[in-house]
Amino acid sequence: MALTAIEIYKYLPKTNCKDCGFPTCLAFAMKLAQKGAELSACKHVSEEAKSALEAASRPPIRLVTIGKDGRKVEVGNEVAMFRHEKTFYHQPGLLLRVKDSAAPDKVAQEMAAVASYKVERVGMQLSWNGLAIQNDGGDKAAFLAAVKLAQAHPELALVLMSDDPDTMAAALGDPAVAGRLPLIYAATEANWQKMAALAKQHKCPLAVRAGGLDALATLTEQVAAAGIEDIVVDPGARDFGDSLNALTQIRRLALKKSFRPLGYPVITFPGEKASSQEEEVLLATQHIARYAGVIVLDHFSPAMAYPLLTERLNIYTDPQKPLQMQAGVYPFGKPDPASPLLVTTNFSLTYFSVSSEIESSGFPTWLMVVDTEGQSVLTSWASGKFDAEKISKAAKNFKVEEKIGHRSLVIPGAVAVLRGELEGEFPEWKIMVGPREAVGIGPFLKQNWAR
Amino acid sequence: MPKVEAPVEKWRGRVQEVRLGGDGRKQVTVGGESTLPFLHFDGEIPHRPVIAAEVLDMPPADWAENVVSAWGDALKSPAAWAKKAAQLGADLIFLRLASAHPEQGNTSGAQAAKTVSQVMEATDLPLIVVGPDVAEKDNEVIVAVAEAARGQRLALGTVTDKNYRTIVATAMAGGHAVVAQAPMDMNLSKQLNILCCDVGLPKDSLVMDPTTGALGYGMEYALSVFERLRLAALQGDAMTAMPILCHAGYESWRQKEAKAVEGVPVSWGDQKVRSLLWEQMTALTLLQSGAEIMVLRHPRSMDVVRGVIDRLMARQGPVS
Amino acid sequence: MKTCRVSFQPGGAVVSVSEGTLLLDAAARAGILLDMPCGGQGRCGRCRVKVESGEVTGRENIHLSQEDMAQGWVLSCTARVVGDLAITVPPKVERDRAIVELPSARAAAQIALHWPRYPALRRAYLELTPPSLEDNAPDLERLRRGLRQEANLEGLELDVYQMRELGATLRQDNWRVSATLDASGPGNRLVDLRPGRIKGPLLGLAVDIGTTNVVAYLVNLDNGRLLGKASRMNRQVSCGEDVISRIVFSQREGGVDTLQNLAVDTINVLVKELAQAHGASPEDIGDMVMAGNTTMAHLFLGIPPRYIREEPYVPTATHFPVCTARDLGLAIHPRASVYCVPSVAAYVGGDITAGVLASKLYESDTLSLFLDVGTNGEIVLGNKDFMMTDACSAGPALEGAGMRCGMRAMPGAIEDVRISSLTLEPTIKVIGDVPAQGICGSGLISAVAEMLVTGVISKGGKIDLDYVLSRQPERPRARPGESGPEYVLVWAGEAGGGTDITLSEVDLENLVRVKAAIYAGIMVMAEKSGIPLDTVERVLIGGAFGQHINVEQAIQIGLLPDLPWDKFHFLGNTSAWGAYNILLSKHARSKVEELVAGMTYVELIADNSFMNEFTASLFLPHTDADRFPSVAHLLSR
Ligand code: SF4
Ligand code: FES
Repeated sequence: MALTAIEIYKYLPKTNCKDCGFPTCLAFAMKLAQKGAELSACKHVSEEAKSALEAASRPPIRLVTIGKDGRKVEVGNEVAMFRHEKTFYHQPGLLLRVKDSAAPDKVAQEMAAVASYKVERVGMQLSWNGLAIQNDGGDKAAFLAAVKLAQAHPELALVLMSDDPDTMAAALGDPAVAGRLPLIYAATEANWQKMAALAKQHKCPLAVRAGGLDALATLTEQVAAAGIEDIVVDPGARDFGDSLNALTQIRRLALKKSFRPLGYPVITFPGEKASSQEEEVLLATQHIARYAGVIVLDHFSPAMAYPLLTERLNIYTDPQKPLQMQAGVYPFGKPDPASPLLVTTNFSLTYFSVSSEIESSGFPTWLMVVDTEGQSVLTSWASGKFDAEKISKAAKNFKVEEKIGHRSLVIPGAVAVLRGELEGEFPEWKIMVGPREAVGIGPFLKQNWAR
Repeated sequence: MPKVEAPVEKWRGRVQEVRLGGDGRKQVTVGGESTLPFLHFDGEIPHRPVIAAEVLDMPPADWAENVVSAWGDALKSPAAWAKKAAQLGADLIFLRLASAHPEQGNTSGAQAAKTVSQVMEATDLPLIVVGPDVAEKDNEVIVAVAEAARGQRLALGTVTDKNYRTIVATAMAGGHAVVAQAPMDMNLSKQLNILCCDVGLPKDSLVMDPTTGALGYGMEYALSVFERLRLAALQGDAMTAMPILCHAGYESWRQKEAKAVEGVPVSWGDQKVRSLLWEQMTALTLLQSGAEIMVLRHPRSMDVVRGVIDRLMARQGPVS
Repeated sequence: MKTCRVSFQPGGAVVSVSEGTLLLDAAARAGILLDMPCGGQGRCGRCRVKVESGEVTGRENIHLSQEDMAQGWVLSCTARVVGDLAITVPPKVERDRAIVELPSARAAAQIALHWPRYPALRRAYLELTPPSLEDNAPDLERLRRGLRQEANLEGLELDVYQMRELGATLRQDNWRVSATLDASGPGNRLVDLRPGRIKGPLLGLAVDIGTTNVVAYLVNLDNGRLLGKASRMNRQVSCGEDVISRIVFSQREGGVDTLQNLAVDTINVLVKELAQAHGASPEDIGDMVMAGNTTMAHLFLGIPPRYIREEPYVPTATHFPVCTARDLGLAIHPRASVYCVPSVAAYVGGDITAGVLASKLYESDTLSLFLDVGTNGEIVLGNKDFMMTDACSAGPALEGAGMRCGMRAMPGAIEDVRISSLTLEPTIKVIGDVPAQGICGSGLISAVAEMLVTGVISKGGKIDLDYVLSRQPERPRARPGESGPEYVLVWAGEAGGGTDITLSEVDLENLVRVKAAIYAGIMVMAEKSGIPLDTVERVLIGGAFGQHINVEQAIQIGLLPDLPWDKFHFLGNTSAWGAYNILLSKHARSKVEELVAGMTYVELIADNSFMNEFTASLFLPHTDADRFPSVAHLLSR
């Protein structure tokens, strides 16, 4: 169980020597409690305290890395059942499965499509993580050929799927393949010794598959006893209901019961039981939100990749730090220098609601977004971060006076109190108090700017 | 001896049950769960989440081409539209009296009452009826509707912290429920629930609309608000225990990602596929966070989402 | 009907009343007028009396604990006579001052005695051996020797100006001199050297520079006694009422100088007043300690404060160099040293660190919450093991500003309101014996609490016009006003200003925001530290805010946490008390430096916790009623 700041503090030397870079031991303890610092930054903790704190801070879910650089998948180390409790830290890998039974040129084409896919969202480049290559017909040569095709895309993360240890050994025999640190899928009750040996030899992560959590836990313990630490588990659940159950229980066991044998990331295959591509995407959607670490789909197209990548971005947004809008002056509907100027904060929800109301009003408008560190209008006012000074500085930074001919500024109605202060800061401006709620923006604009 | 002991959570609280629909007609009950969404092994889920079809009382102006063509001529009259929705398997009709908006025709309360009776003739599904979201008009049309549909147990809206007194009083007088909307914050939703109950509204006549964000547009905020409300309810807080209504259709189809056919990056892919996924993924994510009433727009989405709900409702025991 | 005999102690009055009579009516018959702050509604719990023998009905009340009831305490407005009774009436508690500031003489003595008295300023009277041909050491050497031998003072420091006069001064009264030395630094700095023996005590000045008021304490450093207090409005107010507008002013040409002068002028007036009252000369004041918020300290020293309000909100300094009165233009001894109590951060200033020192929060195991509320709320949570602090912006509503009918707590201000739950008619209490002119912060808290409890407003802070109309069909006190619904506290006919004194929904909203910011500030600290709020054992309230506030009502609106009343302690002007401490003892001075180094500042907007807590607190008393069980209980009736 995670310790609170004050519990951690009890173990620290309480000398406030500042060597850790924090002003006090308590400040350091608060950072530790938020997992924003490493205990090793304090050189003065006693051995006793160290072991107590380390035991409490050992990650309940193993952090596992698949692949090297490029689009490697790094998953696990989660601490929350629900994102609001903290955040979900490590985005699940999204991969496309290709089968070695398919025509090689089609396989190559699919691989290229995955590798080259890029899409931009809120200033970020999003892409697919990699490929899973399945030994479909049990033909070793076909598998090796498919793996070889994947060598054209060394930046992609790789999952090698074959239950036959010999086939797996052959694929990993190529140092260029093993060097990519692919995930070996999968160790089962039947083959685990050999698979574990391969994972150990090539220092690759190993997936462990069994039907049901009991069998799975038994197997991971054996594999772990064989010296494998980087494990990914597959409880065999493939449908909406059973995978929701299985993944929820695995996460709960790891977090709430500190149950080590299931303290690993989970791999899922949403395409296997789906009756349509939509269902496959929806099951992947469920897996993103509900605890999967590696998601292997059977189809790939831009129209499904884009929403899925967006879903993943949303779910793994740190709820403690709201997505902030870039501060600046935004034009809506080709405004001219005579168009109204509104001001709001850069909390993205505030921005979304204000901007969508302006848009639907159809009024050409300027919207000045002030950096309030992602806080809403009232909160940033209450914490002293949305005041006249800030607004006037923003206006200067964004050279508002050059864009706008008139001299009136509309402030959110909720902070009408700012008006007096603002009139001090902007002596030659007219400060107008706008509506309290975003829905009032349309009527407000109409009333004041209709010509 | 099993190795793994199933980590079952026993909750103290339960989601409030709310029944909609009049006597002698189809009724729908939502809520009643004593577990998080679809986690059958923790508790009971007496009622499945339901799908409401979004219906306007006037032909929609700016809807995406693929939605308009999917509904076809039915869009021309709310009764026909509702009827088609019922045929397509909707559990409820979500009727938005858009034409009452001062700029969309400013139709009267009497007209609203008439529309509602026509819709009720066309289908016997329960109704959620909301005004045009302009406080004064809302009051006018909702009062008229509540009167006209006495005893039919509609859910009336939209109640906000500004206008709750009038609509709640009207709803109580007519034996209806209300939909109470707060701007995407757990505390604000709870506050509004308390205010409504403080003026006498029974707890079983309240559906929460904690505001929906579409995929890419604040969905994760909505998700966390839903989850926090639901967790609080299960922990025993009666003032957060009302069933949740979610506008996945309206919010998704407003976005460029759903609407735009041209002038968008190639990497966005085919609009026909993308737009439906946008609505369905928003819906599924929020169903799994606690929504009980899912308002959808595209017939295909209603179908697919219902299929997924079916599969999630199939009882699963603990895995181990 | 049965007649019962009821006797009252002390006094021994006996009355006969019929069964079922309320105790308070029986008491009235006996000529005993009990205090009824809530008008006999069983809501305030202040009309308690003790039943020594006999039976009554209506014993239960939320304001009585099991223990109270076992002892026989009842509320005289709910308990009814059943049989013969013997009643004890407790001595009157002054209304609304159930928890009062320590009488200042006692407080001063406590503070004076708390630290080993060890002022930085010392005076030595020396009779030096005059020089001779055998003993021909230079004058300075002779003075040093005298100080060493007669007063055990080493390391004399003096400047060239003092040296120019040294020879003459030493000889003026035949080598008898009084030397005043400042030992706050490493050596002993010569503050004053005068011929002969000086009569009268060595004096020091402790000053609290508040944004609104400046308070000065004149202190006898020889015996630690507090000689007198004086206070004035900070003359800087003419350049801006709050910290922010003052910083804005400071950015004008010459602004810092103007503000620096005004602060010094204010102090000089106080010095003159105090010196006159105590027959001393301002020059006798040889040491000064100043506590003020970070901005006030900057302005007092003439340091531009502008960066305090520019992101990322860093002050120029939190520790300030010791300077002399002459450097600053203070009309005390020009060489007197002036020490400014260090700050923790831009919005947690020396007034708070001095306050923590005075509150002695850092000494005990008891987990305490220290609050100082003005236009900003500063909060400290801790005990001897740790201390954390944060600050939120509260706005001026608690100082009576920013409301149409708001005013400072001065004669004419409504400071207490009681509203009858039956008639919805208010009873008000005004400061001074004058007609009401407006409402001050404590009156506002009181009014809102009463409006909430009587249903005049909803938990959302909105006035329920229909409800008021239903109770007051003739002349409803709630009505639609220019800026939304409003409630009339005083009709124009009874008001000093000749117009209605009203509270509008906008005023209510302002107050709700203020209380939300403060409560959220408290909660964030509890959350960040992982310490549940209900484990807090004491709430220490410093600053002007505490003086008039009614704890019960502050809890009812959710401003203060719902803890038992006896956990709240009002400490008065802790900033000035802290400065007084430091003046008296070098130990206190090093302690305050140590405290500053050990206080952990929590930035409120580093994440979402404040946002969540703030929104949850924008409700009366709080969205989560479980956190205010006593209020929830009250409202559920
Ligand atoms: S380094 Fe260690 S002892 Fe020093 S302040 Fe940091 S936590 Fe405290
Ligand atoms: S007068 Fe009895 S409780 Fe207030």
